[in-house]
Amino acid sequence: MYEANDLSLRIGSKVILDDVSIKLHPGKFTAVVGPNGAGKSSLLKIIAGEQTPSQGAVKVNGKNLRTYRSTELSMLRAVLPQQQVVQFAFSVEQVIHLGRHVHRSRRSHDERIVAEVMRLTDVYKFRHRSYPTLSGGEKQRVQLARVLAQVWDDAVHPRYVLMDEPTASLDIAQQQHIFALARQVCGRNIGVMAIVHDLNQAARFADELYFIGDGRLVASGSAREVFTRAVIQKTFRCNVNVYHDPCSGCPFIIPETFPSVNNQSILKPVIQ
Amino acid sequence: MDATVTLRRVGNSSVIPGLAILLLVAMLFSLTIGAVSIPVSEVGIILLKNLGLFNGVAIDSTHELVITTIRFPRIVMTMLIGAMLGVSGAALQGVFRNPLVEPGLIGVSGGAAAAVVVVVVFGASISLAGWTYELLIPFAAFAGGLGATFLVLKLSEQAGRTNIAVLILIGVAVNALTGALIGLSIFYADENQLRTFTFWTLGDLGGASWQKLAVAAPLILLSITVLLFFSRALNVMALGEAEAYYIGVDVERTKMLVIFFSALGVGVSVSLAGMIGFIGLVIPHLVRVLFHPDNRLVLPASVLGGALLLVLADVLARTIARPSELPIGVVTALIGAPFFVMLLLNAKSKREI
Repeated sequence: MYEANDLSLRIGSKVILDDVSIKLHPGKFTAVVGPNGAGKSSLLKIIAGEQTPSQGAVKVNGKNLRTYRSTELSMLRAVLPQQQVVQFAFSVEQVIHLGRHVHRSRRSHDERIVAEVMRLTDVYKFRHRSYPTLSGGEKQRVQLARVLAQVWDDAVHPRYVLMDEPTASLDIAQQQHIFALARQVCGRNIGVMAIVHDLNQAARFADELYFIGDGRLVASGSAREVFTRAVIQKTFRCNVNVYHDPCSGCPFIIPETFPSVNNQSILKPVIQ
Repeated sequence: MDATVTLRRVGNSSVIPGLAILLLVAMLFSLTIGAVSIPVSEVGIILLKNLGLFNGVAIDSTHELVITTIRFPRIVMTMLIGAMLGVSGAALQGVFRNPLVEPGLIGVSGGAAAAVVVVVVFGASISLAGWTYELLIPFAAFAGGLGATFLVLKLSEQAGRTNIAVLILIGVAVNALTGALIGLSIFYADENQLRTFTFWTLGDLGGASWQKLAVAAPLILLSITVLLFFSRALNVMALGEAEAYYIGVDVERTKMLVIFFSALGVGVSVSLAGMIGFIGLVIPHLVRVLFHPDNRLVLPASVLGGALLLVLADVLARTIARPSELPIGVVTALIGAPFFVMLLLNAKSKREI
């Protein structure tokens, strides 16, 4: 289990995170949602070990994160950051091989794993292309393959994949593809955490949802438990109506129309 | 089908041996050229004899002296410097994830040259035994190179990370400063020291000797070896510093060691032959565009490619304006610049940059 307890982060006098706890379970997909600037990316950076919290600690499989060497940690968790710029014209296959860096395993073993994740993410057919020439969606899938290659070995210990908005700027089909993949990955004793912008997608695919607003944890639980008008209002300061999909029973939201105050200021004709 | 595509098909395995053979041929050719031309067969025999492998044929003793005391140390120094500049350019571009970075830009060369010029011009007033002076020059070059580099790095740091745009601007400023220091020292220099101005700013491979190499060669070889060791880590660094950390690379250690050994090797190179521009920038790009950007190929190929380009440039520098010699930096830029632009245009049209 990946466990972060009572995390706080202050930079200068600004409070970025205030007493946030989160648990990631192997085999489960956890979505973190919240408005822009709520501290989601900082939370991910702390969990990933890149940033040290002002208070609180992170435990990975029962051991404090700080006691791991960076190479040991890399065998347990992989991170898909938000934007991906690869300097120099590496081929798709080369980029994905970079995910195998820490393992120092046999070449044939690495190649088998890279081929497997390339098929899974549907990038196999353009594996020889140069990365900079790919479209946004293709790049994202290549990076996902690279991240999966890092934790794909058959291992008894649980592993984790942390993703910062993996579907940002992707079309709906690509989003479906990425989320379906994330769910599939969970089947390999891997816990997935993703920061998700689209609330309906989060409710549809995640086992657990964490609502973060203003650096605080507003609510956490399954979509049925926490995907409510009140929680969303408190987290996003935005009024929505919650409905349920008649087939799956999964909740979804439709935002209310403009609040009346804004309505007036927008629609009032300007006469001078 | 154009040349780039065909070359890329050549594949990894034959690039290094191919470059090594080219370098050997260029080296032998270079050894035959000079005030007296010595046929390649004789050069070969002299080399084998001095390696203790061959003894029997009578050789012209003047020729032997020319090869062993003048041309051979010069070619060894040329190859070492070319290799060092090439590999440090490749490694620094990898660490900073920027294709514009080269040892000159981040202050290594300028800092080293400024420190050496200051020692040469003002050091004469301190009386030092000959061998201390010999040691002082490479040490000053190394300290100057490292000092300038860390100044550039520190000043371009922003929230714990190196801001590349700032780094390039600070690099320009620090280079202007080291240039001014060189100029200032020249101002106070005597007639004799004044002639060294060209030496430090455009490079000169003429001053090679076995004594100088005894100090410099081990330091340069050590730096090249250490840099080669980071090829794999530099591939991961291409993804970004945070990503490299996630994948399990010790980013700070990689950065510091690559910069330290680049400064050491390039600093020592500058102390031997002044500032020779362009090789550190051009060679790694040539390798990337002609073959592929995997640093496990780019770094070793830059070692050989850098040595090869400098040997060829030296041949030209010694033959074009015979009996006098063109400054080596002029020749490297004259060959390198147009070729570089051509390759960039080619790569740009294919969106590979």
